[in-house]
Amino acid sequence: MRGERARDRVLVVWCPDSPGEEGSAGPRALAAALAEFSPRVTALDPQACAFPARGPARYFGGEEALAGKILEALAARDLSCRVGVADGRFAAELAARAARGEAAGQPGSRGHPGAQVWPGSLGQRVTIVLPGESATFLARYPVSVLDDPVLADLLPRLGLHTLGDFAALPPADAASRFGPRGALAHRLARGLDPRPLVPSPPAADLSVSQEFDPPEPQAEVVVFAAKALAGQMHAALAARGLACVRVRARVVFSGGGESSRTWRHDGLLSALAVAERVRWQLSGWSTQKLIQNGSPAPDAQAGGISLLRLEPEQLVRATGRQLGLWGDSVVSDRVARVALRAQAMLGHDAVTRPVLSGGRNPSDQVAFLPFGESGEPRFSPDLPPGPGPGRLLPGPWPGRLPPPAPATVYPAPIPATVSDASGAPVTVSGRAVASASPAFLAEGDGPLMSVTGWAGPWPVTERWWDPARATRKARFQLVTEDGRAWLAAVQGSRWLIEAAYG
Amino acid sequence: MSAGARQIMARGGMEAQTAGLTARSVACPAPDLRELRELPVQRELRNLGELPVLPALRELIPGLARGSVLAAGEWGLLCLALAAEASAAGAWCAVVGAPGLGVVAAAEVGLNADRMLLVPEPGPNWPQLVAVLLDGCELVILRPPAQPSAQMRRRIEALVRRSGGVLLVAGDWEGAPVRLAVADREWAGIGDGHGRLRGCRARVVVTGRGAAVRPRERWLWLPAADGSVSAAAGPVSVSGEASARALPPGMRSTG
Repeated sequence: MRGERARDRVLVVWCPDSPGEEGSAGPRALAAALAEFSPRVTALDPQACAFPARGPARYFGGEEALAGKILEALAARDLSCRVGVADGRFAAELAARAARGEAAGQPGSRGHPGAQVWPGSLGQRVTIVLPGESATFLARYPVSVLDDPVLADLLPRLGLHTLGDFAALPPADAASRFGPRGALAHRLARGLDPRPLVPSPPAADLSVSQEFDPPEPQAEVVVFAAKALAGQMHAALAARGLACVRVRARVVFSGGGESSRTWRHDGLLSALAVAERVRWQLSGWSTQKLIQNGSPAPDAQAGGISLLRLEPEQLVRATGRQLGLWGDSVVSDRVARVALRAQAMLGHDAVTRPVLSGGRNPSDQVAFLPFGESGEPRFSPDLPPGPGPGRLLPGPWPGRLPPPAPATVYPAPIPATVSDASGAPVTVSGRAVASASPAFLAEGDGPLMSVTGWAGPWPVTERWWDPARATRKARFQLVTEDGRAWLAAVQGSRWLIEAAYG
Repeated sequence: MSAGARQIMARGGMEAQTAGLTARSVACPAPDLRELRELPVQRELRNLGELPVLPALRELIPGLARGSVLAAGEWGLLCLALAAEASAAGAWCAVVGAPGLGVVAAAEVGLNADRMLLVPEPGPNWPQLVAVLLDGCELVILRPPAQPSAQMRRRIEALVRRSGGVLLVAGDWEGAPVRLAVADREWAGIGDGHGRLRGCRARVVVTGRGAAVRPRERWLWLPAADGSVSAAAGPVSVSGEASARALPPGMRSTG
């Protein structure tokens, strides 16, 4: 699949003079002219457009013929352009610029290995890089064409002056030395595009709305209107072969209030189900207001509802959905209904499901996803190391606390005071040595409890390479006289209680 | 059932199915696919009068009677342990008002994290929220944000009875038929500056309203070395031999 994408021929048209002439009319004229050749035109920047060349080239009888037609068509519109064709967008863009011999740090348009320049009638305005020759074509360009200032500075100092030098490194080494950006640049240097050319997404506004004039005091009427609106929205989506992942329902009250809530859709909800969600939203909104005002007869909805709007969000192609037939892969309808009603009362984020994840801290070992959303944990839980699907950064996590795990993990650690037998605060040196045995623990401003058992300090140093996220602390386990056990940490000479056991 | 339909059903086979689709759907309702999709365990669970509890807890409490409220003392591992077996058997468990729930500890005790719904901040409207959740979840663990009034308590109890779920309250609940509490705790594996927490021997006491429940108590590993819950021996003095015996199961004494 990837190899096939790499072989995709891309044609780039570059109009160096277009924006100067008529302001923003240039790029639009360019895209409009190219629409006659391909429906899949993507604008790269105001001066350049690209489209996959394979289909049009076959229709017009070859890439040279296609390029000639394009130049003719653009000349008729008073646009002077260069055309480049290559495997992948990056190489094609450079080829288009090379056609005029003006690429940054140009090695000259002639004598490019693997490239053919058509002089004569086409007037040195077309460069075609032969299939499979993109890497050869790119090899002589300086690394500055990668458009990455950090790499452009770093690579020459390492003795890698051209893309060819850079591409000669093994991909794994490039990725491990230069990170994700380096890996991306390395793919470009090898003549592989990071992603296939994507045609522009449908720009049509598919949201539907209904105004109520005079404002509608009855929620039922609005819910009924919501059903009709949802029907319209679904019809519009279906006509374009799209589905929405979420739908946002906005209700505007004539009193000035507004309720906006996002609902999971996944292309599965019927019009009636959307209307039902609008009903929940309205009732949740009124109870919320009731609580805030504290009075049984709130004025929040006085005057009624003046506007209802449904906006489909995150449009995707409607490919249908296959549900599991057996077992518990699917949340049962009963539970989903209950969770959605709870979300209607408290908001989308208030009802969550835990996903076990990987990490050294108890708070990192679980992620909370709002109900209805699906996601992978950022890190995998404690799995044996080794490649496998879905294992982003496999465990084990050295330095992780061994079981048993704490039953309470405070979302925000509680400040604490830990002192020794003489009452002086316990500190931990840079070499992870405690100044004295902890004898007393106070939770926040609470009373002092004497410590009956303790262990530590266990130093934890995480992400030292990233100053923004680096942590350095020393952990202790403490047991107090009331039989409770705590996980505490000294961080920046402050004591924090992270979790409680039992 | 009409005579025609009966005849078609009696004939059976592919021919009847294609020929008499309409008649058949009228005659015998198609099996509900959603019901079939549930695990057999889940279907069993739905028909039980009480939700199961971990084997280690069975001497204290045989099961969680459906439609009842249990008070489980202060928030801690005991609440999770009570819910563990039912959750493993396929029951959905909602946890309300516990923003600091240790999900890893819950998973170690035996709860199925895939069948949990968490509402960490239920807000002032929590009784209504509990009512909603009881509609769909067999188990609701509630840590009440505020002390409910007697009237509110009665209303919630009535709701629990009607829904057939179980409400586990982390905290006090006046008039709860069964109450559990951790009376004593003894941590093992940790010394004065050495070792680490390896388990906790806890004395769990059950009391009940009326004569139906005699006060009972048991020593449990809550948690044991691997985070699970198991029965423990009685208290031991802190002499060398005894403390070696006091290590949680699955641990070797290295002394």
